[in-house]
Amino acid sequence: MKRLLEGIKIVDFTWIGAGSYTTKLLADLGADVIKIETATRLDSLRITRPFKDGIAGIDRSGYFADRNTSKRSITVNVKHAEGLKLVKQLIAHCDLVTNNFTPDVMGKLGLGYEVVKGIKSDIVFVSMSMQGATGPDRDYLGYGLTIGSITGFQHLTGLPDREPAGTGTNYPDHIPNPTHAAFAILAALRHKRRTGEGQYIDIAQTEPTIALLGPWIMNYTVNGRVDNRRGNAHPQMAPHGVYPCLGEDRWIAIAAASDEQWNTLRGMLGLADEPRWATMEGRLADREGLDRAIAEWSRHKEPRALMEELQAAGVPAGAVQDARDVLRYDPQLAWRQHWVEFDHPEMGMSTYNAAPFRFSDAESTPSSPAPLLGQHTREICSGILKLSESEIERLMECGALK
Amino acid sequence: MTVDKSRREAAGPQPLSGIVVLDLSGALGNYCGKLFADLGADVILVEPLDGTPARRMEPRVEGRSDAEASLQFQYNNTNKRSIAVDLDRPEGQEVLRSLAVGADLLIETERPGVMEARGLGYKALKELAPQLVMTSITPFGQTGPYAQWQAEDIIGLALGGMLYLGGYTDSPPMAAYGYQAYAAGNLFGAVASMAAVYDAEVSGAGQHVDVSMQESVVMGMETAIQFCDLEGTVRKRTAGQQRMAGAGVFECKDGYIFLLAGGSGANRFWTPTVQWLVDEGVEGVEALQERKWSDQDYLATAEAKAIFKGVFSPFAKSHNKLELYTKGQQRRIPIAPVSSTADIVQSKQLQERGFFVTTQAAGDESGARPLVMPGAPYKLSATPWSLRRPAPRLGEHTSEILSALGINEERQVKLREQGVVR
Repeated sequence: MKRLLEGIKIVDFTWIGAGSYTTKLLADLGADVIKIETATRLDSLRITRPFKDGIAGIDRSGYFADRNTSKRSITVNVKHAEGLKLVKQLIAHCDLVTNNFTPDVMGKLGLGYEVVKGIKSDIVFVSMSMQGATGPDRDYLGYGLTIGSITGFQHLTGLPDREPAGTGTNYPDHIPNPTHAAFAILAALRHKRRTGEGQYIDIAQTEPTIALLGPWIMNYTVNGRVDNRRGNAHPQMAPHGVYPCLGEDRWIAIAAASDEQWNTLRGMLGLADEPRWATMEGRLADREGLDRAIAEWSRHKEPRALMEELQAAGVPAGAVQDARDVLRYDPQLAWRQHWVEFDHPEMGMSTYNAAPFRFSDAESTPSSPAPLLGQHTREICSGILKLSESEIERLMECGALK
Repeated sequence: MTVDKSRREAAGPQPLSGIVVLDLSGALGNYCGKLFADLGADVILVEPLDGTPARRMEPRVEGRSDAEASLQFQYNNTNKRSIAVDLDRPEGQEVLRSLAVGADLLIETERPGVMEARGLGYKALKELAPQLVMTSITPFGQTGPYAQWQAEDIIGLALGGMLYLGGYTDSPPMAAYGYQAYAAGNLFGAVASMAAVYDAEVSGAGQHVDVSMQESVVMGMETAIQFCDLEGTVRKRTAGQQRMAGAGVFECKDGYIFLLAGGSGANRFWTPTVQWLVDEGVEGVEALQERKWSDQDYLATAEAKAIFKGVFSPFAKSHNKLELYTKGQQRRIPIAPVSSTADIVQSKQLQERGFFVTTQAAGDESGARPLVMPGAPYKLSATPWSLRRPAPRLGEHTSEILSALGINEERQVKLREQGVVR
C-alpha cells in the first residue's frame, strides 16, 4: 500500500521533544526525513533514560528511539565550512526545512530563512521555538514541562487545595505541538503544490498548547472567571471520577453522562431510587456522597472485570492503566496493532508507537526503527549528493561529516 | 449541483481555500474541523435539529443558556457555516449525500455502525464521491473488542495511560484539565485527514480514516512505555514532589514557579542555577556545590530533593513568579511561571505577538460581550491564519447551502415543514 507523503523530502534540524515528534509523524506517513545530527553536539535525548537494559549509550535511548522512527540520520558539522556547504546542497533537494531551536540559532549557523530561500525558492521553513520568533520573551528557553506551566496546564490540573500537579509529563511535546505543527506543514505543502509558493512558519510552542484551553481562556476574557484546579470533577456530570479498586494503586474511571447510565449504575451499586438523585442537577449537588458510595463498592472489585461489567451494562468506565497494562494487556490496542516491534541494530527487538490512525488504502505504521547516529551518512552523500567514495572519505577525515 | 468551490476560492491567500469539509462531529471532532476552517477551508457544520452537543457544554457566557451561549461551542466552531438536518430521516440522508459529492472531507464521531445504518457509511459514500476522505474519530476505533464501548474524556485518559501518570504520589490519579483525550482525538484526526486530503487531491482517491481517542492518548505517555519495555520499570505519578532535585513546582510570593534545574539537557542547567543562587547570596548554597550533584542518580534521591528544597524554597518565597522567571531566563535556566488563565491573557509576550483575537457571538449584535479567544496557533508568512466569522447560529446557512445544491425554495419549505431541516 502507498504512503500518503511519499516524495516529500525534509532536511530536519529538530531535536529533543516536540520537533522530533513532529517529523516522526511525517516520516511514518512516508516523507523522507533526513535528520541532521553531529557528534560534536548530540541530540540530548540520545543520552537520556531509559536505555536498553539500563546501559547508557548514544544509540540505546528509548526516549530518542520512539521519536525518530522512519528517519535517516546524517552526521554533518554545520560549523565546519564544508559541512555547511553539504547541508546547503541537501536543502536544494528538499521541500521542507524544520528546526526547534531558539529563534536566532539557524541564522547564526548561516541557515536563516532568507539564506535557505535563496537556495530553494519554494522552501517551507518551519521554526518551533518555545515562545516564537518575536516578542520580548523570544529568547527564553524551556522544555515540555515549563511550557505546560506557562500555558496553564500545570495550574489547572490537580486538587484545588494543593500545589498544582500538572500532567506529570512533558505533555505539550507529545500531543499539542507536534500535531499542530504537522497540520500547518501539510497545509503549507498543499499551498506550495498549488501555487509554487513556499513560506516561513513560526510556531511558538506555547501557542498551540494554549489553544487547547480556549474555552477556559474565554471564561476569563468574557466572564472574568479564573478557573482553578478541580481534581476529577466534571462541571456537568456526576458521578464522574476515579475510584479505588482491589490491588495496589489500582483505580477505575467512571462517568455517568445521562439519567439512563446513572440508573444502571445505581442498580449495580444497590442504591435506592432516591428522588434527589433523579436529575443531573440533583446528582451534581450530591457529588461527594455519590463518590463515597462508589468508592466503597469499587474497592472490593478488580478493575478490568468491573470495567467490563459496567461497559456491558452501558456505563462508560475504564481501568486506569499503567504502562505495563497499556503495552502488554490491552486487547483493543493489540487489535489495532498499535505496538510495532523493530530489531534495532544496537537495542535489538524493541517497541515503538504507531500513529493512532489507520487508513483504508494507505500505510501508516513506522517503516524503520530509529537510526544510529550517522547511520545513513554515506548513503545520503552518495545517493542524494552524488559524492564519490573518496570524496566522502575526505569529508569524514576533515571533520565536515562528523 | 455541488457546493460552489470557485466562489470561495477567490476569497484570498489561504492555504486550504477550495477544500470543502462536512463536520458532523461532536466533541471528538469539532476542533479538527476548526483547524481546517481557520486555514481557509469551507467547513459546513452539519448539526442535528436541536444543535450539536457542544452547544450545551460549559463554560458559557454567564447569564445565558441559549444555543449560542457555550464558549466551548463558540471557540471550536469559528469560521464554519451551519446547516441543521436530521440524518435519521431518508430526506436528510439524501441532503448529506448531495453534499458529499462536492466535499473533500467528512468528519464524524458517531458510534461505529451508526453511519452505515443511515446509508452514509464510507462504502456507500465512496460510490457517489470517490474523492471523499471520511474521518471517523471514536473512543476506541471502528473495530475490535472495545469498538462499541462508550467513553467520556476521562475514560479515554484512563485507558490511554495518561491518567495514571498525573496526580500526587498520595492521591488518586488526576485527569489533565480541559478534555485532553478529546483534544488528542481531534488533533491526530486533523493530521491524518490533512495527509489523506493532500493525497486525494492529486490521486483522486479518498480514504476512510479510523482514529481512536484511546490510542491518541497513548501518544502522550512520554517515556513510560520505553521505561517498561527497556528497563522493566513502571512509571508512577510524581506531583507534590520534585521529579529530580531542582526539577518541579516551588511556591513563591504570589503563586508557584516551575524550575527545571536538575536532570534536563543532560544536567547542563545545574551549574548556572547554583551560580544564580550564589550571586543572590542565598543561604546554604554551598551544600549544592559538591561534586555529587553532577550525578543524575544522586539527583533522584529523596536526600538530594530535600537538600535542594531547603536551600531554594526560602529564596523562591521571597520573590514573585515573574521576577524569578525573568532572572532565571536571563541566565539561560529553564524556569517558568505556573500561569493561570488571567496570567496568560495578560502575558506581554502573547499580546506582542497578537495571539488573542476578538469576535462577537451570534445573538450579541450589540457587541456587549465581545469574545476574546486564542488565535493563530501557527504563523504562516504567506497564507496567514484568520478569523473571518464567528461560530454560526444553529441552521444559519441552511438555506444558502440547500440552494447551492439546487434545492429550490418550494422544496426547502417542504423540508422544513417535514422537520427534515431547520
